[in-house]
Amino acid sequence: MPHRPRSISALLTVLALCLAVSAIEARAQDPRLEAARKEGKVVWYTSLALTSSEKVAKLFETAYPGVKVEVHRTGSQRILQRMMQELQAGIKNVDVVHTSDAGHYVLLKEKKLLMRYTPAGVDAFGAGFKDKDGYHYGLRATVNVIAYNTKAISPAEAPRTWKDLLDPKWRGRLVTAHPGYSGVIATHVLALVHLHGWDYFKALAQNKPMLVQSAVDPSGVVASGERPVAVDGGDYTFYQVKKKGNPVEIVYPKEGVPLVVSPSAITSFAPHPNAARLFTDFVFSHEIQQVLADTEGLYSGNPQVTYPSDKPRLSDLKVLAVDAEELEKRNEEIKTRFVEFFGA
Amino acid sequence: MPGITITGLTKRFGPVGAVMGLDLTVRPGELVALLGPSGCGKTTTLRLVAGFLAPEAGEIRVGERVLSSPAVVIPPERRRMAMIFQSYALWPHMTVAHNVAYGLRFAGVGRADRDRRVDEMLRAVQLGGYGARYPGELSGGQQQRVAVARALVVEPEILLLDEPLSNLDASLREEMRFEIRRLHERFAITTLYVTHDQAEAMVISDRVAVLRDGRVAQVGTPEELFERPRSRFVAEFVGKTNLVDAVADGAGAVTRGDLHLRVAADGTAPRTPPGSPVVVSIRPHRIALGAPAAPGADVTVLAGTVVRASYLGDAVDYQVTIDGSDVVLRVSGSAPARSRPGDRVVLTVPAAACVLLPAADAPAG
Amino acid sequence: MPDAVAAARPRRWEGLDRAAPIWVLAAAALALLILLPLGWLAYMSVRSDTGVTLAHYARVLGDPPLQKALWNTLVLALWSGLVALAIGAPMAWLTARTDLPGRRAIQHLVMASFVTPPFLGAFAWVMLAGPNAGHLNRLYRELTGAVDPLVNIFSMPGLIFVVAIYTFPYVYIMIANTLGLIASDLEDAASILGAGRFQVARTITLPMVLPAILSGFILAVLQALALFGSPAILALPAGFHTVTTQLWAFFQYPPRVELAAAFSIPLLLATALLLLVQKRLLGRRGYAAVGGKGAQRRAIRLGRWRYPALAACLLVLAAAVFLPYGILLKAAFSRAWAQPLTAENFTLENWSFTFLYSTTQSAIVNTIELGVLTACVGAALATLLAYVTNRRLIVGHQVLAFLVVAPVVIPGVVLAVALFVAYTRPPFLLYGTLWILFLAYLTKELPVGYSQSDATLRGIHPELEEAGRILGAGRFRVLRQITAPLARSGIIATWCFVFIGVIRELSASIILFTPNTKVMSVVIFDLKEEGQFGAIAVLGIFMLVMTFVTVVVMQGLLGRDVMGGRQAGGAG
Repeated sequence: MPHRPRSISALLTVLALCLAVSAIEARAQDPRLEAARKEGKVVWYTSLALTSSEKVAKLFETAYPGVKVEVHRTGSQRILQRMMQELQAGIKNVDVVHTSDAGHYVLLKEKKLLMRYTPAGVDAFGAGFKDKDGYHYGLRATVNVIAYNTKAISPAEAPRTWKDLLDPKWRGRLVTAHPGYSGVIATHVLALVHLHGWDYFKALAQNKPMLVQSAVDPSGVVASGERPVAVDGGDYTFYQVKKKGNPVEIVYPKEGVPLVVSPSAITSFAPHPNAARLFTDFVFSHEIQQVLADTEGLYSGNPQVTYPSDKPRLSDLKVLAVDAEELEKRNEEIKTRFVEFFGA
Repeated sequence: MPGITITGLTKRFGPVGAVMGLDLTVRPGELVALLGPSGCGKTTTLRLVAGFLAPEAGEIRVGERVLSSPAVVIPPERRRMAMIFQSYALWPHMTVAHNVAYGLRFAGVGRADRDRRVDEMLRAVQLGGYGARYPGELSGGQQQRVAVARALVVEPEILLLDEPLSNLDASLREEMRFEIRRLHERFAITTLYVTHDQAEAMVISDRVAVLRDGRVAQVGTPEELFERPRSRFVAEFVGKTNLVDAVADGAGAVTRGDLHLRVAADGTAPRTPPGSPVVVSIRPHRIALGAPAAPGADVTVLAGTVVRASYLGDAVDYQVTIDGSDVVLRVSGSAPARSRPGDRVVLTVPAAACVLLPAADAPAG
Repeated sequence: MPDAVAAARPRRWEGLDRAAPIWVLAAAALALLILLPLGWLAYMSVRSDTGVTLAHYARVLGDPPLQKALWNTLVLALWSGLVALAIGAPMAWLTARTDLPGRRAIQHLVMASFVTPPFLGAFAWVMLAGPNAGHLNRLYRELTGAVDPLVNIFSMPGLIFVVAIYTFPYVYIMIANTLGLIASDLEDAASILGAGRFQVARTITLPMVLPAILSGFILAVLQALALFGSPAILALPAGFHTVTTQLWAFFQYPPRVELAAAFSIPLLLATALLLLVQKRLLGRRGYAAVGGKGAQRRAIRLGRWRYPALAACLLVLAAAVFLPYGILLKAAFSRAWAQPLTAENFTLENWSFTFLYSTTQSAIVNTIELGVLTACVGAALATLLAYVTNRRLIVGHQVLAFLVVAPVVIPGVVLAVALFVAYTRPPFLLYGTLWILFLAYLTKELPVGYSQSDATLRGIHPELEEAGRILGAGRFRVLRQITAPLARSGIIATWCFVFIGVIRELSASIILFTPNTKVMSVVIFDLKEEGQFGAIAVLGIFMLVMTFVTVVVMQGLLGRDVMGGRQAGGAG
């Protein structure tokens, strides 16, 4: 009978619409929205790439009209520096702090600068994405990879392992980001120090890589062909750039890829606590985590998030984890020795 | 109308002494010129009187009020004076009428009254109807008259002029000299007039104070200064003169080598013991070419040779070497020239024309 | 009679200048502005928990990487000064003294180079001369088939080059102004005796302009010493520091303020010494006095050298203006700056992204607010101070004149460190507000504003004011009714100079900003750290447009060229 499928599909459509509407209504009726609207905005210090951060902010503002997101994007190390400088001067500005240096959160927790808050839906997240005391949760994850410009280098010539990068043939053709700016890179350096020791970086410095700051920058450098090989950088940035049509290819070295889980937390002194909570719930929601995976190339702690087919699963990669406490303790060392080898 | 009394005025700029103990009295309604070479302190004195500078020592009084002393200096805006500057200092962004009216605003004069007085004053300086023009549109001479109008309209107690004519060309300068004199006689304001031009000072002033190195060398009427200078400096500065260094013989004459000159016997000549060095000043136009007209007059007759004869149009300037002496006298004669270089001439030098001056140049007169 | 009637003696208070409090206040404000932060800086450099110590100095002067930074700075400053001299002096001579075609246009273009922020130029040159992706290198490789690049901008020579092309205008202005004062007949006398054009230039003109040349060189060196943006963009990727970038690095968390303070002092001393030498060279008036009214000037005929000379000038201007502006425009409209500007590479997204980005919007607002505020206060203060020193209104006005231009000695980064130290603690907790930036800008731009105001006031004859005073107007009334109207266009020029200086300031802003108080230059720098070339180009162009509009307004008001050309009116 031809009518039945139509009525079923019609029914399903109506059902879906109702769900959607109720979801929106549910959102709109969120009781904290009133309080958040009164506060007017949430101040977000984030190290997530600018375009991604802006996208998330706009989505939030659309979902919750009346609450603005003030995006302040800079490198992880700078974010911490700013926060501490402001606190020293008695300025309480930031609501939500999100960096890629897990060590920061050890420090911040110690200094009682974080608010204990568990966003809805994080129970299912992987263990590496949750703070046992409930102060911070992993908003996103990426891995450090090697990337190269396909126009300048053929797949056969391309470096395959971290050690390959030490080959003198790469002299003057490499670019690296800086642990003094980026949490992604600080994590990467520590992971590789565990893997190959500080001598690795000493040798890498002999190849005179170009120094950039942000973990986002190498993707642009490689895409433009300025330096054909990036020795580190968040894979999500290379992925985005590749998706835009740039001649970039990613290599996931077999020795292992340093995993960087980027936590997010609300500050204990947040001037807009309700907006902060609302925002945190939002970014940890399934929808947004899916957006981060779909369009931004990030990994999520939510096991139910699906990934594009051209991206390897975390389970398929040899992942190198780094202990947050150690990262915090050795932060100075990482920065100083890097400067010592690379000059600046 | 008050007068100005300056006593012991001293002002230094760093190590340089600009005014060093200057004394001067300007009588009510009098126009006194401050005359002297550059650096003599005349402008500094004027600015001290105006209140732009503060004295280190001495006092400036106007009438009975002490206006400047080392302790207190009344600011210029409260001294009830007016000043005409060398550059005229007309405000380019205001019309002529506004320029002239400016001072009246502080005298509490009403609008209508102001306009009337401005009009009157502009007519008095022959700029009637120029009120709406801007200074930039006027000639130098006209600007100068605006400056005069601006100063006079406020009816100041004291009028100060700082070389107001030096920016004008020669013929205009002459015309303006008489103009200023005429205005002075009409308004009779006590006036101090600074100039380096001796002819100007002679024409304009009631009395002239010749300044040197921050002090008054001599003050007197133009005639007094010209006929009876009391120092070498004043004799040279005011008008041309011949100066002869000689030795007094105590008997109404001076001697220089073989040259004997009879000198003036009036009481203003310093009493000089015989043998003391003196300087004799003889004005060139008082020396006559030729033998004396009246015999027995108190004159010295000299013989000499013409060295140079310069034709000046209305006069001839001769230089004559005197026989038996190293003296060269300048003689002023009428045109056309009657002698040429190389001619032998006879000169008649009246004793009354020979003014005796101290040999050492005493600083104060 | 006079003895009988007691002379009326004035009271002491009658002699007081009623406007005196204003002058004193202005002087006090100045002293506070400059001495407070410097005092703190000196204090911090020797402070420790155990009392006064020289340990910080020992540390910074003995540490090899820091010594290297000092050395790099020295090399950079001296070499860029020399190159700036090599470019600026001949160009000044060519435009001021010869019949070079297109003189006026060249002068305007040098002005364009003068107002271009060096960090923007550095950034543009990255796109032009990055060893692999840089357009010039790619062109070279295509044309010659070579593998190695023609130039690598990420190097000390590259840095020197970029710094030189944006500091040569200082040399140019200094020399062009001086040449404008030399009367032709001094050179004609030599020509008549048989000296050729270049001999005349070498043996007559050159010695007379020598003080100006040396002075211009010193100015260029001073600028190079203080730059932050260019070294950050070109040196850091190549792995070396200068003192300014190192000072900035000291402010990473945890900030090592004592070390920063101690490290600042050598830079401060070096600049102070240079300035002293420059003052000695030029005498009290601060410009090379060569005598002559400068009225009669005949252009020297270049003959067959005309076009080669023009080509040389255009080459310099291409490096400073045409190429960088061109590449900025291209990057602003490209998806991928390194790719050719084809139809598919063309986009307006950079513009929408940049201006919709909330940080940009607030940064633009901040910049304009700060620009206007600093320009207004700066112009007023500079004029007031210039008035005080020109008319010698208070005791110690010479000290005041010195103090006003003293900030020239303080590189922007050092000033920021000093202000940070002074104003991040009670009683003046200004950190985190726009006020600390305002103070930094005011202090930094005051010398430039003051010299313009000073020149303006010198052009107003004191007699104009004295005429008012003797007629009954007090000092302040005279200032208002007589001096200010006459100085109006000069004051506006001061305003414009300060405004332009503020909107392009980077070296102090980069240390003092907080996320809420970002300015445009900081946003550009941030975007650079992310490699957002398109957005940087857009913001850079916006900044340049703001600057040029201000310059046009200023030149229109002044009715003459600021660059040393003599139109109506005299030299500034």
